Amino acid sequence: MKRSTKRSYTLTVGCVLAGLIAVLALVSLFWLPYAADDTSGGRLTGPGAGHLLGTDKLGRDLFTQLMTGSRIAFEAGLGSVLIAAALGGTLGVLAAFAQGWIDDTLSAFLDILIAFPTLLLAMLIVAARSATLGSAVLAIGLAQSAVVARLVRILVKRVLAQDYITAARTSGTSWPRIVAGHVLPNIWPTLVVNLALQFGLAVLAEAGLSYLGLGAPPPNASWGRMLQEAQATFTTAPAGALAPGILLVLLVIGVNLIADGLRDTLDPAARRRRA
Amino acid sequence: MSIKKTSLYGGATAAALALTLTACGGGSNAGGAAGGAHDKNATINIGSLYEPQNLDNTAGGGQGVTEALNGNVYEGLFKLTDNGKVENLLAQDYKVSGDGLTYTFTLRDGVKFHSGKKLTSQDVKYSLEKVIAKDSQSARKSNLEVIKSVETPDPRTVEVQLSKKSISFVYNLSYVWIINSDAKGLKTDEDGTGPYTLDKWTRGSALSLARFAGYWGDAAANKQVVFHYYKDATALNNALLTNAVDVVTSEQSPDALDQFKSNQNYKVNDGNSTTKLLLAFNDKAKPFTDVKVRQAVSAAIDDKKLLESVWGGYGKPIGSMVPPTDPWYEDLTEVNAYDTARAKKLLAEAGYENGFSFTLDTPNYDPHPTAATFIKSQLAKVGITVEINTITPDEWYTKVYKNHDFTATLQEHVNDRDLVWYGNPDFYWGYDNKQVTQWVEEAEQASSTSEQTELLKKVNRKTAEDAASDWLYLYPQIVVANSKLSGYPVNGLNSQFFAYDIKKG
Amino acid sequence: MGRYLLRRLAFLLVSLALASVVLFALLRMLPGDPANALTSVGAGPEQIAAARHSIGSDKPLPEQFVHWIGQLASGDLGTSFVSSLPVGPEIASRLNVTVPLTLAAFVLAVLIAVPVGFVAAHRRRTWYGALLNGVSQLGIAVPVFWLGMILIAVFALNAGWLPAGGFPQDGWSQPAEAIRSLALPVITIALVMSASLIRYVRSASLDVLGSDYLRTARAMGSSFGQAMWRHGLRNASVPVISILGIELASTLLGAVVVESVYALPGLGSLLATGIAQHDYPVIQGVLFVSTLAVLIIGFAADFAQRIIDPRLRGRLSGGAR
Repeated sequence: MKRSTKRSYTLTVGCVLAGLIAVLALVSLFWLPYAADDTSGGRLTGPGAGHLLGTDKLGRDLFTQLMTGSRIAFEAGLGSVLIAAALGGTLGVLAAFAQGWIDDTLSAFLDILIAFPTLLLAMLIVAARSATLGSAVLAIGLAQSAVVARLVRILVKRVLAQDYITAARTSGTSWPRIVAGHVLPNIWPTLVVNLALQFGLAVLAEAGLSYLGLGAPPPNASWGRMLQEAQATFTTAPAGALAPGILLVLLVIGVNLIADGLRDTLDPAARRRRA
Repeated sequence: MSIKKTSLYGGATAAALALTLTACGGGSNAGGAAGGAHDKNATINIGSLYEPQNLDNTAGGGQGVTEALNGNVYEGLFKLTDNGKVENLLAQDYKVSGDGLTYTFTLRDGVKFHSGKKLTSQDVKYSLEKVIAKDSQSARKSNLEVIKSVETPDPRTVEVQLSKKSISFVYNLSYVWIINSDAKGLKTDEDGTGPYTLDKWTRGSALSLARFAGYWGDAAANKQVVFHYYKDATALNNALLTNAVDVVTSEQSPDALDQFKSNQNYKVNDGNSTTKLLLAFNDKAKPFTDVKVRQAVSAAIDDKKLLESVWGGYGKPIGSMVPPTDPWYEDLTEVNAYDTARAKKLLAEAGYENGFSFTLDTPNYDPHPTAATFIKSQLAKVGITVEINTITPDEWYTKVYKNHDFTATLQEHVNDRDLVWYGNPDFYWGYDNKQVTQWVEEAEQASSTSEQTELLKKVNRKTAEDAASDWLYLYPQIVVANSKLSGYPVNGLNSQFFAYDIKKG
Repeated sequence: MGRYLLRRLAFLLVSLALASVVLFALLRMLPGDPANALTSVGAGPEQIAAARHSIGSDKPLPEQFVHWIGQLASGDLGTSFVSSLPVGPEIASRLNVTVPLTLAAFVLAVLIAVPVGFVAAHRRRTWYGALLNGVSQLGIAVPVFWLGMILIAVFALNAGWLPAGGFPQDGWSQPAEAIRSLALPVITIALVMSASLIRYVRSASLDVLGSDYLRTARAMGSSFGQAMWRHGLRNASVPVISILGIELASTLLGAVVVESVYALPGLGSLLATGIAQHDYPVIQGVLFVSTLAVLIIGFAADFAQRIIDPRLRGRLSGGAR
């Protein structure tokens, strides 16, 4: 009893945190306090009337930028996770069904890819395609595909080892049928939880890339870029250097809590382990 | 050049246009209060954003190598002082023939290279020929190609024949390092005649110079100089705030200046700058082939407000390519001044009453993205839509500079006297006016500086009226130093930073 | 074990060779010209051709590749296009920063994470167990560069205790200065790294704490400490070591963000500059060395797991099958 309240508590807090920022992102699609490129505010005015959190160096409203930044964070998170799920899922299933050297080679390749940080991949992709949000998302998604693929491979192998699958295979059930009928229903809870965690990591990674100038180019207000720009005025105008960081942390914590909550709800095995 | 603030790519290509032609300039004083006794054995720590790519200025060393080595390790026949005067350095004296085609230089006696070898006319001949050699990457190569031959009648005399008159010849020689003709491996080592020898270059972090005991002139006022290299302005300012460096060669944003201004331990020097931020149109690409469209865009942008947003209270508005320190300067800020009504009228006359849209190729490091954002919002008010396309310096160099594949771009042009590029119709912005080309050529062939100045004034006015480009503003040149320091250069003319007079204590 | 080592070594060499070819080909597919970094604005076709010739990028690709492999075989990583400095010593000097930075951060992170993770699991029902868990949640969500910015503002700019960035020019021959320079970066990485490690240690500990063998051992009369030491630690360390291997490898290469915040001349900043300048010998050298490091770390982690858990012997890869 105690546990179930705690579980719902985790999920609730997670949903509230992430939801808050999701609302900011959604609203930014239809309405912003100021136009995104409105430079009419004074330079670094600081919080006050007219501008809730003040303005940046260019006189743009900070809160407006935070809102567009939350939209970009969601775009980065969702985009990367979609790539990771599609590519990683396919690769993982292939590796699990393949036997012998194909499996060995694929796994070894994935191990190397996992060890290489997103950053390297991003630098190379940006060198090839120039710095855009798309390049950053592609890099993050590719890097995460390796992680997802490895997880999917293990999960699928575990399912395939079950007796009823062996029975189905000997009775001539086709591969796609086995995947759709037996494998997917068994692995999706763990997969969803993992993808939620990847979402949080992707948001962090995008901020890091934008901080280094490898993400969404200006004038797009990515949180990472905002932090980079505000770094020089940290001591004189702290709002710009704190607000994007705080939102970033809240979103990632929110998503992680949702993942934890989901794990407890969806994945009975994990619940037993954690009990 | 530019700072590497937001990007990992800033250091790469020499993106800003370090190109020059002639000599002389305005006056200014060295920074810092020259106070009582100083420490003769001090180490001066200099913070900079411009690490050399290698140590050879004829092999792509970049802006950083000029800053660290010019005048400090290597010397030319002449030097360009911090206030823009050309003075004799290794040349004790020179004569020009009546037709202006033969220059005879007498070398200073008793000059030794760091390796111990005595300077002779052979070394000068070698050094001059190195700059104009086939594989030379010197930015001065095209200026010095007027050299027809170099003769060495005796060890202290050099005779240079020019193929045509060049009033800027002596000025250009201030960029030619005199190098030991036997020296090898100059990309990673040196053999010059300057007051410092290269102590050590730790790539990615620092380059140190040590006082040269055998220097021919007055010994350096300090024992050691260390250039510390940073990749972004914040790290650089933090280094100054924590006393890891004593002086910053060139501040690239006003962000940290308030902290230094309000602190009596630091001195903020506002020197003379020659760096201009340009909105460069491709004058050969529609719609900027039309003078009226260029004038309209220039009139639609409030340069003063842009300057205020980017630089706070620093910097100056500018109405043409010519900074106030050039002799042919005229205040042309009123030509195509901010006037949205006029901009709309000009657009209508050009047939764009409903506006148009264009792509602005924007280098990915500050201040370009900031300026692009600002321009986008300003031009929207007269119906012009701007697509910002952010590119790396490397892309800029290939796409815009080499291939002329652009409609408009932003770029900073750092050098003095670079108006003359409007006389070259093949330059990246494609401004092609026969009259201007002719004036520029005549100016270089001029017999007197007043004649040269008259001609270039005409060029200045014509290009401004034609809105050949939109000159957004003149950067400030800000050197911030610990108040214990004195004798440092404040103008940083053409990226030089002479360290030998810097005193500590 | 001998057979295993041989197979593992063969795998390492094949991976390295494959990675080299892929790397070489990929780099050449990038748009841009390495000669750009060397030519000044105003350069004509003649100067561009001269620049290409001086770095050998005008030769056919297969010839360049054979040349590079030839150098590599004799232990030479080549010469930078831009600086003309040999790449090997350059990388070595950067490793002098990156390796101590990574290892110190790693050790510190483990020292924080193992006890904290264990306590968070063992005392999960107490308020401080929950607090530790919450703090690690927070730690995972904090971007490493933001933490760096805050630490610099507090400890370098305000308190003035430690340098805000940079590394002494003479490196480790100024040991006190070098250590002071690395202190904040090490703490930054360690804090972020330990946050995620705590979560792994905690869940591994939970598995062990709930296991039958621990209950059996205690029923047989062992104290809790003895039982944990004999059985728990060994079982919990297997999954943790595999994570540690990955964390260590990615920190080695991922230190570039922290190096950027703290202006450290490490491997990451060398790579970043190399990519910006299309300095292929530098990029190839750094990636070659780091691939080697990743493979060796992976091997070490795998090997350590085998020593600890004999049941894993006989498998090629450490992953579950």
